[in-house]
Amino acid sequence: MTYYALLFIAGFAGSFHCIGMCGGFACALGADARGASATSVRHLLYNTGRLTTYCFLGGLAGGLGQAICTSLGSRSEPGAPLLSASLDAGQRALAVMTGLLMIVMALRFFGVRGWHRVKSGFGGSTLVISLRSLLGKRGYAAPLAFGVLNGFLPCPLVYAMVAQAASTFDVLSGCLTMAAFGLGTFPAMLAMGGLGRLLAPSWRQRGVRLAGGFILALGLVTFGRGVLPMMAGHGLHHLWHIA
Amino acid sequence: MTAAPDALCRHCLLPVGRRGFTRTVNGEGCQFCCYGCCIAHQVNSGSGDASEAAWFLVRLGMGSFLSMNIMLFSLLVYSGAFSGADRRVLPTIHLLLWGLATPAVLILGEPFLRETWSQARRGRLTSSALIVLGSLAAYAYSTLAVFHGGGHLYFDTASMVLMLFTLGRYLEAAGRARASRDLAPLLAAESELATVVEGVQEHRRPVREVRAGMLIRVKPGERIPVDGLIVEGRSHTDDAVITGESRQIAKAVGASVLAGSINLDGPLLIRSSGAGSDSRWAQICRSVRDALRQSSRTQRIADRLVGAFVPIVLALAGVTLVYWVQRLPLDQAMLTALSVLVVACPCAVGLAAPMAHSLGIGQLARHGCLVRSPGALEALACTPVIAFDKTGTLTLGRPHLVDLASDGVAEDEVLARLAALERHSEHGLARAIALAASARGLDPIAAEDVQIVAGRGLRGVVHGESVAAGSAALMRELGWVLPPALFERAELMAASGYSVVYVGWSENALVGRTRAALSFDDTPIPEARATIDALRGLGLRVMLLSGDHAGAAARVATTVGTDEWQADLLPEAKRAALDQYRARHGAVAMVGDGLNDGPGLAWADVGIAVGSATDLARESADLVLPVGGLWLLPWVVGRARAVRSTILANLAWAFGYNLVALTCAVLGLLQPILAAAVMAGSSLLVVLNSLRLERLPGPSYPSAPQLSAAAQAASDPQPREQGQRRELAWLKAES
Repeated sequence: MTYYALLFIAGFAGSFHCIGMCGGFACALGADARGASATSVRHLLYNTGRLTTYCFLGGLAGGLGQAICTSLGSRSEPGAPLLSASLDAGQRALAVMTGLLMIVMALRFFGVRGWHRVKSGFGGSTLVISLRSLLGKRGYAAPLAFGVLNGFLPCPLVYAMVAQAASTFDVLSGCLTMAAFGLGTFPAMLAMGGLGRLLAPSWRQRGVRLAGGFILALGLVTFGRGVLPMMAGHGLHHLWHIA
Repeated sequence: MTAAPDALCRHCLLPVGRRGFTRTVNGEGCQFCCYGCCIAHQVNSGSGDASEAAWFLVRLGMGSFLSMNIMLFSLLVYSGAFSGADRRVLPTIHLLLWGLATPAVLILGEPFLRETWSQARRGRLTSSALIVLGSLAAYAYSTLAVFHGGGHLYFDTASMVLMLFTLGRYLEAAGRARASRDLAPLLAAESELATVVEGVQEHRRPVREVRAGMLIRVKPGERIPVDGLIVEGRSHTDDAVITGESRQIAKAVGASVLAGSINLDGPLLIRSSGAGSDSRWAQICRSVRDALRQSSRTQRIADRLVGAFVPIVLALAGVTLVYWVQRLPLDQAMLTALSVLVVACPCAVGLAAPMAHSLGIGQLARHGCLVRSPGALEALACTPVIAFDKTGTLTLGRPHLVDLASDGVAEDEVLARLAALERHSEHGLARAIALAASARGLDPIAAEDVQIVAGRGLRGVVHGESVAAGSAALMRELGWVLPPALFERAELMAASGYSVVYVGWSENALVGRTRAALSFDDTPIPEARATIDALRGLGLRVMLLSGDHAGAAARVATTVGTDEWQADLLPEAKRAALDQYRARHGAVAMVGDGLNDGPGLAWADVGIAVGSATDLARESADLVLPVGGLWLLPWVVGRARAVRSTILANLAWAFGYNLVALTCAVLGLLQPILAAAVMAGSSLLVVLNSLRLERLPGPSYPSAPQLSAAAQAASDPQPREQGQRRELAWLKAES
């Protein structure tokens, strides 16, 4: 459970990052004229949509990790999210890759730009513009659709978490990884939508740093799992607690 | 509803073709070439709450929500999360999956179903039929499995296949729209609005309603809508679309501006000098539109293959099903057949050529080069020989005085009399003589009684003395003395390819005497040498086909460095020469100014007219370069080759990809979802490969060193002197 709790906290801290773009959307989603309960439903639907996308991406990444490892002749049982099982060669290679990816992502939160922003030539920007047209629509389908599509918007936090999900080598664990992360972003996002009040920039900055720290730690551990096969589950558990 | 087949798609600006359809977006009827363009356009044009685009996105979002949930649960089922003790929840999960899949299939599959239906009613099977058949089969089988028990469920296959194809088509359309970005201003030109100033009022009016004499206001950053003169303001303009060269040109009151150029930094008030639809810009736009509507040979072949593909794939899927059903359970055999259906969807093949073409045509048009049909680009790319016309194409078409040999009279005297005569002539040399006279500061004197002796020259009276200018034949006819020394020098001039004019006059009412011989030459344009060198660098054989006499052709050929030359060619002889090259090398392109070589341009495989907007050239040339745009030719050839190789690579990819994937699918090695992803991948690959064309550099004017090297070659007297000596020896031997 520690693992998922950690992801939840990472999501919560990371949601200060989300406030930048997604928070803006949540605010714009606004209040429903039919009252507070309708408004809550609206925002809940939006966040459910987002969560669905995250879970899907997580499940897919986990499945992909599993498929890759199976095809590489992995013999160990799939599903090692709790860092207890030892890894074989294929899993280690994947762990090193995803770990590195997460570390690079995390460094971006501290202002280190490893590479130029990935150009989402067709897709990203177009989607953002067009998504705005959904915000004003009535009914419950629009916020849900909006949330689903919102989940696909390019976001380093989500990418880092998807990388983490891939390193679980299991559909369910990958899905749960992303679910924990997604649920972590719920409080801030719901608060944003409900209250529509922006946090002080300094707090946001701190939150972003914190999220970056979590991702860095996760990335280092994942990387460590790949390069330090001798470290047994216990040692790593110990590491987790320190992190 | 179907669209006219020659219309252009609203989103990607490619011809809508037979698959096209009309959809209402934001209350406006729009024509689209495919479902992807319809999605992309609706996504992009979304504004306001009532827009149908928003509704469309809601549908896509819902579809994604449902199919992602289906996928998640299915993945969990596959990965064994519900095995063992949790087994009893499986039926509930199955029911849930069915509940999610039914709306998902309806929402995502509706556009494909609609397209299949509308095409089927006209007796055609398109690739969406494959998608519909595949996903509906998976859905129907799984539904049966849910309610009658047993078997695997393939709801995830049904919904994910639909979703991936929707995604693939969207990405494809987005890529295509980016490819045609250069074309958008061209195609919008006719419906563009111009700010017409009437008194104190300003109206926005379509460009085609602008007449000569109207005042037009152009803001900085706007495209100048009509040709005209600046009456107010100063600015810089970028005339790249007209001249091919992208640089800033300062313009002030009184300067002329061209439609299509961009007003860079200052507001301008322009008096239109012609109707809005008559400008060269408007012509460019019209011809680009016409070019886009045509399809090249490669494209037609590809389309025909695709047309034949669908029934074959259906048959193949049937055979696959029959084969595997004898070896595997029904559901797995069905899944294999389904993969075949899905993976064979030949979307990328249809995309291979038009996208590269529209990119190529758009980029050329942005530099003022008009392509009249996509086929011309492909033909130019595989042409090994380029033949040039001489006068006006490689040369300026304006002769200048090279040499003056006189028989004991002052050069100024000769020129003054000649200039007096030639003022009455329309001959090409008259201008050169007037220029030479004014360069020496000679005052014009009057000539009387000037007559033109057809084919021979002119005669008249200057200062009461009879003066004649023309060929040696004229001098002989007049019975005037032609000193042998002068004749010899003149023959030398003629032998080295110059046009020669004899001048003579009578003195004190005696019989006239030939006093001087002048030689004229047509200079090659400065960038001719660099252009020819660049073309030869591209591996082309460069020929010169001239109607001029051999000496002139030979000299220009040496100066600009062509591989071969032929002179004294009448238009019919030029056609024969082109036929000869075609027989020897396969295909031949002809470059001319379009004025006197229209038949040659039409006869060649690719006719290229330089700097002519005349109707004849536009009729006979496949490619029109801007005025003074000869230097663009190597770039155009390079671009044409890039377009062709991109198309071939696209086709190879698309067909190769399809065939490999199809083989895997028939052998049962490919899951349907993976097959759909593979297909979306192939479209994306073709799009990205075509977009690589965007990265190629634009044309660059030959640099100063290249031009000076050319000038040096032009003024290098070495070969000519040798020639002269040889001629001299020959003359001596003769005498």
